[in-house]
Amino acid sequence: MSVFDGLKYRKVSSPIHDLDPRIKFFYVCAIFVGAILFWTILPLLILFAIQIPFVLLAGVKREWLRSLRGTIFLAAIIFLTNLIVRYFASGGALLVTDLEFAAAMTLRFIVLVGSFSVFFLTTSPDHLGLALERTRMPYEFSFAFTTAVRFVPVLAEEAQTIMDAQKARGLELEKGNFLKRIRNYIPVLVPLIVSAIRRSLELAEAMESRAWGATKKRTNLYILRLKQGDFILFVITIVILMVTVYVRIYIDVPGLSQFLSGVS
Amino acid sequence: MVIIETKNLSYTYPGGTKPSLNDVSIKIKAGEFALITGSSGSRKTTICRCFNGLIPHFYKGELEGEIRVADKDTTKHPTFEMAKEVGLVFQNPENQLFALSIEKDVAFGLENLGVPREKMRQRVDWALKLAGIYDLRERSPHEISGGQQQRVAIAAVLAMQPKIIVLDEPTSFLDPLSAKKIFEVIHDLNRKLGITVVLVEHRLDLTAKYADHIIIMDKGRVCQDGNPRTILGAESTRLIGVGIPKATLLFQMLAKDGLKLGSVVPLSSDEIAQSLLEAIKPHD
Ligand SMILES: Nc1ncnc2c1ncn2[C@@H]1O[C@H](COP(=O)(O)OP(=O)(O)O)[C@@H](O)[C@H]1O
Ligand SMILES: [Mg+2]
Repeated sequence: MSVFDGLKYRKVSSPIHDLDPRIKFFYVCAIFVGAILFWTILPLLILFAIQIPFVLLAGVKREWLRSLRGTIFLAAIIFLTNLIVRYFASGGALLVTDLEFAAAMTLRFIVLVGSFSVFFLTTSPDHLGLALERTRMPYEFSFAFTTAVRFVPVLAEEAQTIMDAQKARGLELEKGNFLKRIRNYIPVLVPLIVSAIRRSLELAEAMESRAWGATKKRTNLYILRLKQGDFILFVITIVILMVTVYVRIYIDVPGLSQFLSGVS
Repeated sequence: MVIIETKNLSYTYPGGTKPSLNDVSIKIKAGEFALITGSSGSRKTTICRCFNGLIPHFYKGELEGEIRVADKDTTKHPTFEMAKEVGLVFQNPENQLFALSIEKDVAFGLENLGVPREKMRQRVDWALKLAGIYDLRERSPHEISGGQQQRVAIAAVLAMQPKIIVLDEPTSFLDPLSAKKIFEVIHDLNRKLGITVVLVEHRLDLTAKYADHIIIMDKGRVCQDGNPRTILGAESTRLIGVGIPKATLLFQMLAKDGLKLGSVVPLSSDEIAQSLLEAIKPHD
């Protein structure tokens, strides 16, 4: 189950969880734009810091840190690649600014992952489905999305059951080389797929029986309504956007080493 | 008033060579608690699919004969129209819940029908309360037990306020205690709201006492149809392989050995207990 634990949706309530997913998405996009606009550490550090109160308010510190920790490997690759490219580009010399540049690119990546992670950690799939419905997308898409999320834990449990059953009959999953191991999973996959197909037929039957497709003008039990918090976040996001664009255009942002030497 | 009527109904699944339903003619009255039973594979599920038009609209195949449900010819009305008249509850509770919260699931049918939100909210709460799961309304379906899931399925169908509820072995995935609770909920709906109930079940120990009408199927045919006490009490029924209630069996055995416990055939343990108490009470 452990692999799927991260996908399992847990219902929590916090000021951030209650925000409108559309506004939250706008905020994530603003951070995204900000991160793309800057090539130096300082502003990226600020963009990173902006997210911390957000995370704390949502009470998802542990999950957030875990998702950041998950990026360490990729972050290291980004850092090294940048360093190596810079090294060869400058003809075999490595300056402090090159180090700074590589660090900035890594930080940019971490900012992007961090902001998306906050979004997904604090947005319930139900909300996401509603937001999807609000776009011009056909209802079938958002229905497929929420139903898929609904069945993730069910299928995960089923996969586990099948694996246990096959192991009890002598199947050894962890044996052999890479290809062999993949082949070991066939006796698990086949029943899983067969059962998923049967399940989808039963689902279709149950949907039909509950008037699926009765009218084009479907209604919804929940609606997204903008609340005070959403307006606050909206204003914050606009400010972030304006400041980043202004700074990008009119201010020559110093590098970290320049900045530090300027201060002292 | 007859609410479900089939006349010489025969049906063959697409690609099938032999008919799955054979010349089925039944009548179920409005407000009745009808029990359909029969061995596994006797096409109980197939007949249920006819009641809301899944057969022939969803399953295609060949349907012959007549069928009228709530004054509608199901072959002429699509399933989403029949859904307002007939609610179907299926065997596996897990595969009939699609949403991420229980109340959203209960609302699903109403959303499809385009019911305005205020009215939807009322009906959802009403159905949740009737099924006894109002407190669970914000949970996700994965967090609740099978018995509770099945009650969600019942509430989901109830919210659409159908005249008929058809339940196809709703408790076969459940433990006996949850099953008993489900039957009580169903019985309540029938008695208090006057909803016509068609229950497919082979555990008759818990359900026969609620039934006004029993239909026994065998290989796609109706082989017994009528009053539960007459049919379950009859010697011939035992031979078809139907799970006759133990109380009824005991009554029959005692009768064979010359002890007649009252004039009414008991269908449950409390009924036979009653007869026994009557019998051993000192007469003066
Ligand atoms: N979708 C289907 N397509 C073809 N045949 C089916 C289908 N569903 C059921 N059957 C046939 O119907 C028979 C079982 O009927 P069913 O109504 O499920 O019985 P019961 O519910 O009494 O156990 C099976 O023998 C199977 O061949
Ligand atoms: Mg069946």
